[in-house]
Formats: sequence, structure tokens, C-alpha cells
Amino acid sequence: MGKYDNVEGIARRTMILFFLIDTSNSMSGTKIGEVNDAIEGVIPEIKEISSSNADALIKIACLTFSTGVKWMYPNPVDVNDFKWSYVNAGGMTEMGKAFEVLNEKLSRNEFMAEVAGSYAPAIFLLSDGAPTDEYKDAIEKLKKNNWFKYALKAAVAIGDDADKDMLATFTGDEELVLTAHSPEALRKVIRFVSVTASKIGSKSSVSAQTTNAKQDDFAEQITEFNSDLIDSQNDNW
Amino acid sequence: MIDLKRNERIQIKNGSKAEVIQKIGEGGQGAVYKVHYAREDYAMKLYFPRAIKKKNEFYSNLENNIVNGSPNESFLWPLYITEMKNGTFGYLMRLRPAGYEDFSKILTAKVQMNSDMAIINAALHLVNAFKDLHSKGYSYQDLNDGNFFINPENGDVLICDNDNVAPYGQNVGVDGKSRYIAPEVVTGKSRPNVHTDRFSLAVVLFMLFFRGHPFEGAKTASHCCLTEQLEKEYYGVHPLFCYDPKDESNRPVRGIHNNVIRLWNMYPRYIQDAFIKVFTAGIKDVNERLTEREWTNILLRYRNSTIKCSCGCYNTFEDETQAKLTCADCGTEINRPLVLTINKNKIFLYPETRLYTYQIEDSQDLFQEAGMVIINKANKSLWGLKNLSKRGWIVEYSSGEQKSVPYGGVLFLLKGTKIFFGNEYSGEIN
Repeated sequence: MGKYDNVEGIARRTMILFFLIDTSNSMSGTKIGEVNDAIEGVIPEIKEISSSNADALIKIACLTFSTGVKWMYPNPVDVNDFKWSYVNAGGMTEMGKAFEVLNEKLSRNEFMAEVAGSYAPAIFLLSDGAPTDEYKDAIEKLKKNNWFKYALKAAVAIGDDADKDMLATFTGDEELVLTAHSPEALRKVIRFVSVTASKIGSKSSVSAQTTNAKQDDFAEQITEFNSDLIDSQNDNW
Repeated sequence: MIDLKRNERIQIKNGSKAEVIQKIGEGGQGAVYKVHYAREDYAMKLYFPRAIKKKNEFYSNLENNIVNGSPNESFLWPLYITEMKNGTFGYLMRLRPAGYEDFSKILTAKVQMNSDMAIINAALHLVNAFKDLHSKGYSYQDLNDGNFFINPENGDVLICDNDNVAPYGQNVGVDGKSRYIAPEVVTGKSRPNVHTDRFSLAVVLFMLFFRGHPFEGAKTASHCCLTEQLEKEYYGVHPLFCYDPKDESNRPVRGIHNNVIRLWNMYPRYIQDAFIKVFTAGIKDVNERLTEREWTNILLRYRNSTIKCSCGCYNTFEDETQAKLTCADCGTEINRPLVLTINKNKIFLYPETRLYTYQIEDSQDLFQEAGMVIINKANKSLWGLKNLSKRGWIVEYSSGEQKSVPYGGVLFLLKGTKIFFGNEYSGEIN
């Protein structure tokens, strides 16, 4: 009936939000329960950010690591169609292996093969322990990957046993490592980091003088959130 | 982060307290709540404590905007301001009525505009809003896909985020989105102003019509990751219009920019030329950017010469010399209908064509309907113009016969007919 009958959505880039989740044995119980519940709970919000965004659509990729690693789905999934599949805990903490496969997938021949192109991804690492495998080579390689360099990165240390120095090596900035001392705090962190990374990562950048305004803005918001979080939480694991 | 609870009461400056009903949204700068104040419901935007950098300046600018009042009814303008408390504050505005959709949802095709006429009217409403805003001495600063709503049924527009609006030459610290703001703002050479508003307005109009971005094509598509540095390059340092007549290197790419490829040639030459002007010469020379008045004239010409085929598809005559056109959808050949000329307006008279008040009297109202072309029920080849205006018209047919056409009355569309609209306005059908 008209010019616009077959109109498509405007060409949008893709922004992938990666969750890297420690599913080792120590995560069993409340921790993994809270991770499952919080991520599942935040998906509708990310869906809304994606659907009302003409700059980019958001896809989700989730990698779990324990004894071995596993992608939840073989490819990143449009958040609109994404269903969270509950993850279980058990086994070792092969984080080095996780960095290795993440590095493989951060390639235009793999996950970053969008026809209409991508924005830099957002990568969110959640762990309560330290790697049980050799991870140093893997993280060094990952840090040389350009997709990783431009990515918005944050990590949450679940409780005090997490290797925060290693997490800071991952994020490149200790301010981007948050510590959750309670299920309530973990839920807040997951929501805040996921939503903030989705909002900033999926929008055309702001007109600042720098060329890493998104990372700066992300770091600023995470830091501010963290200072409120520290004020409010008690140790409760 | 503060989260207000239901029934919490917020002190309005120089007033009583507003009562929180519920949270209705959250953005980068703050959260929006539905509140009850002075027997009415409003939307209240409350800033995150650290979101606003020059807080006092921002606050007093907002107060000034409230005192000066809204430029026109298309703005969800700040009406009341709260007192500053715990390092934060907010303001009250009208609630967005039902039926208005985020522009971004139209761009992502989650919401469809009802008709081409609604699209033209949305463009006219936007341009008109910016004309009134600029003539009040303001600039908007960061127009983008996230700060206005369109009613897809009729094209009515509501513009929000009017807290960044500031008098010419002033800036309250807002940075716009690279994809929408003028190149000189992307590169940091200029702060937002009236000219940069005009650039953003052209970007948004282009997106509304062509459902793509003016600077995205083969060049931008060649990068699998659009880093911030590349955004600066393509929206700031070296933006290249995808239909630049002298440089084809950033043409839309089939498979990615399908909408632009399909829709560009469906628009008349003078509309294409307007965009070419802004997005080529207008990149560097702000005087080449179309003013709101120029856009209004172009859009009105477009609306006046756009007709609705019986299949429902809208088609546009370039000008009166075009003898016929082929409907873009059903392929029917349509001969150029009679044209009513009233001063500069040339209105192509086809069934459902509207006459508007601004055409027949001294009025700035571009949307109030004053007449409509209808088909005679008994004889479908007979078309008439129905008077929907407040005044009675006098018609003089070419035979010399005169007839008065009161409100609700109809005159036959016959060549050589003169219409006197009951004031100094008159027109002739040819």
C-alpha cells in the first residue's frame, strides 16, 4: 500500500554483552543461585534498551568455566530471543581456558562477523576464586586482541576469596572490579553492570574530546556505584 | 543512586510537595517518576546526584526556562522545579499521553507510521517546533533518536529532555551523540548552537524519511568494529554523505542499507537536493544548512503535491508540468489532477487531499484542516472540495456563475473556477 510497507529496521550495529561465569564447585548454593536469578532478571531490561535503540542491537553470549568451558549457545543471541538457561556449579576454576576461548571468539571470523558491523563488546567476568589452571599466557594473548582492548570490561569478585588482582589484570583497572559480600549486593552488581554496559556500549559515542569516552563514562559510573555499594553492604556469604 | 518510594513527598520550589506515584523510566542522567502535584499528575525527572556537572548553572538555566515558558505545544517543557536536596533536584513536566512512541522504535521498525501523510506531518511538526524554539532565543543542543516521540497515527510530535535547552551561546554542559550532532561538535571545534541544531534536525529528518543514516554507507560498512575513533572520523572529521553527487565512495550497501536505496528515489528531486545541500556544503558552511523556514516551505510543497492513489499508496508530483505519474505500488497511471493555486501554494486536488487553514487565511497553523476533496457518491467522476473552514466561501465558475459555499458545502472541481475565501485570500483551479 505504500513506500514504507516493506521498510526494515534501520541498519544497526551489534553490541555483544559477554558474561563469563565461574561455575566451579565453590560457587554452589546461594552464589550460583543468585547469579542465575539476577541475570535472568536483568534480561528484560536489556531487551528494552536494545529495542528502543536505533544505534545498535544487543546480543548476549555466555561462557561458563569450571573443569572445562562451555558456551551457553553456539553463537551470540539477539537479546530479544535470548532465554537464560540455568547454570550449575561443580569442578575446578579453569579461567585460563575461558580467556583462551574468549580470545578465539573475539574475531571477525567468529562472533564478530556481523554484516552491519559491531560496536566494541562489553565483557563481564564473575568469579569467587582464583584460576586453577595456567592463565597468564592466555590473558596476555587476550589483552592483545583489539576487540578486547576496546571492550567495556568489568568484573565482580564474589566474596573475599576471589583473586582480585587477577580480575584487575583482566579489566585493566582495579576500579572496574567490584566486590559483592552478600547475595543482595551480587544481585545489585549484576544488574547495574549489565544495564550500564548495555546502555553505554550500544550507543553512538558522546562528543567528547577523547576517543575512549565510552570506557571513561563506564568507569566513572561503575566507580560511583561501587562507592555507594561499599557504604551499604555487610559481609554475608 | 536514589530510588524514590511510593508516596514519598518532594518539595517543589515556591510551592507545596509533589507525591511520588511510581517510577516510569530511567536514563543516563536520572530517573523519571509519575507524581501527583496540585491536583494533577505529572512526570518528574530527578537527576542522579553526580550526573550534572555545573549544578548551579544548570539549575538556574532550568528555572529560567520555566519562567519563559514553552516555545510551542510540541515540547514536554519543564513546568516546576524541585528544591535542591541531598545534592540533587528535578523538574515536573506534562506526562507523555498515550499513543506517542519513541522515534527510535519507529527507526527500528518496531512501530510503523500509519501513512506517508503522518510522516510528512511529523517532519513538519519537528521543524515547526525548532522554528519556535530558535525564535525564542534558545538552542536545543542534543537532538537525537532518544528525545522525541511521534504519534504514528497523525504525526504529532512531543519533544522531551528540554533541560539542556539554553539561550544562544550558552551551554549547560551537554555532549550529544556523535551520530546526530554536527561535525564541528564531534570534533570539539564548536559547542552546540542554533546551527548545530539545524544539522541534527536534518539528520533526524533524513532518518525519518529514508530510515537510514546520511553518513553511513560503503565506507562505514567496511569496518567491522566502529570504534570511537572511527565514529569521530565518519561523523566529525570526514563525514561523507551517502548520496554525495561528487563522491560515490560511501553509497548505501545492498543488504545493509536497503531502506535508503529503496526510498531515496521515491522522493522528489527538491527534497533530495535539500538533503544534498545540508550534507555536502552544509558540513563545513553553517549557512548552507537549511533554516526551519526553508524546510517548512519544502515540506509544505511536498504535502501539497502528494496525492493518495485509490490503492492507498501516496505519490508525489514534482510540479504542475508533470502530466502523469505511475503509482509506486499498484502501477496505475494517474493524470495530473487539477491544481488549486492560492498565493504560493499549489494544491494538487485528488480525493482525500486536504486544504489547510494557513493556505486560506493569516494563520501559522499548518495542521488545522479547512477543506477536503471528496468524490460524488452518485457520479464517481465528479469531485468536489468540501468547505471545512469557519468562513463561507464564494465560488465563481468559468461560466460566470457564482455560488456561495457555507461550512459543510461542496464546490465542483472545474477548471477555471475561482474561490474567494471570505477574506483577502482567493485561489484559482487549473
